[in-house]
Amino acid sequence: MGLRDDVAKVLIPEEKLQARIAELAREIDATYSRDDRPLLVCVLKGAFMFLADLTRHLETPHEVDFMEISSYGRGTVSSGVVRILLDLAQSIEGRHVLIVEDIIDTGRTLDYITRNLRTRGPASLRVCTLLSKPSRREIEIPLDFVGFEIPDEFVVGYGLDFAEIYRNLPFIGVLKEEAYRQ
Amino acid sequence: MSRRKVELPKAVDRVLLDEETIQRRVEELAAQISADYADAGDLVLVGVLKGAFIFMADLARRLTISHHVDFIALSSYNRGATSTGAVRLIMDTRTPVTGRHVLIVEDIVDTGYTLDYLLSTFQARRPASLKTCVLLSKPERRKVNAPIHYLGFEIPDVWVVGYGLDYADRYRTLPYIAALKREVYE
Repeated sequence: MGLRDDVAKVLIPEEKLQARIAELAREIDATYSRDDRPLLVCVLKGAFMFLADLTRHLETPHEVDFMEISSYGRGTVSSGVVRILLDLAQSIEGRHVLIVEDIIDTGRTLDYITRNLRTRGPASLRVCTLLSKPSRREIEIPLDFVGFEIPDEFVVGYGLDFAEIYRNLPFIGVLKEEAYRQ
Repeated sequence: MSRRKVELPKAVDRVLLDEETIQRRVEELAAQISADYADAGDLVLVGVLKGAFIFMADLARRLTISHHVDFIALSSYNRGATSTGAVRLIMDTRTPVTGRHVLIVEDIVDTGYTLDYLLSTFQARRPASLKTCVLLSKPERRKVNAPIHYLGFEIPDVWVVGYGLDYADRYRTLPYIAALKREVYE
């Protein structure tokens, strides 16, 4: 039995995903000048696959750095307050920072990260997310680059996991209910 | 897949491995790993930041077997040619590995110190098995013997960038692997 058998439907097929990522790269290229040398900040783990594909399309010289965060407490309702497990390797003071996220739903975690990074004095701070679930939003944060707006469904693949599996599917799929209700 | 970044940066001397060659080899490695671990049970891929993130992204999505992905961040105490090999752990993995199959995913092995450190660190956690998957190896530079179980390519002792590898954080996300001009780093 393969991982794909747990997928009820393919929400965004691989070709469509890759085409949109190439477009996002063009939008980002149009936003920054070559001298800006933006720093792309990837929030692990979910966004690593998106980052790997997005950055290979970018013409603008840029750098990448990583943050890994974990929420306090358990449960599905996130307060947004997170623990930083891995902080950026470099200072962002005076830098053009682009946060790269896999998905934004309530916006609470992103709100926390942007507030945290803003205190460090970046020259600019923008957000690029592959997926957005507007119907779940609790805090409005401007998203500068959005791959796809999606309905409030249980999505996996392309970096997004359920209990650490399905991350490696090359498309975005909706998980069958029996796969997560056990 | 669209072809990308055809214009070489000025610091680049020549392309060592083009995008198609890398992708084909990653596909072969993924097929081999999928076959070898088909009946093994829990597999945890441990990617070493920052360099391995692109290799990890391409390798993981080609695996046909279920697995976990985790990352570890390391830093050397002293950089440069005189490195003693002492490694500082910046961020550990989050996935418990005891009793699981661990595959360390690295972009490049030169002296072997980092890989040796990772092997002893993970061995102490009593995994069911412990292997390494490395995209690039520079055998001429080896100081300690650290086993590589899955290897992408052997390359000569030149400074390479792209596909995760950087020079002062630059050129890391080129879709191919290129040799830098000597005057850039010497």
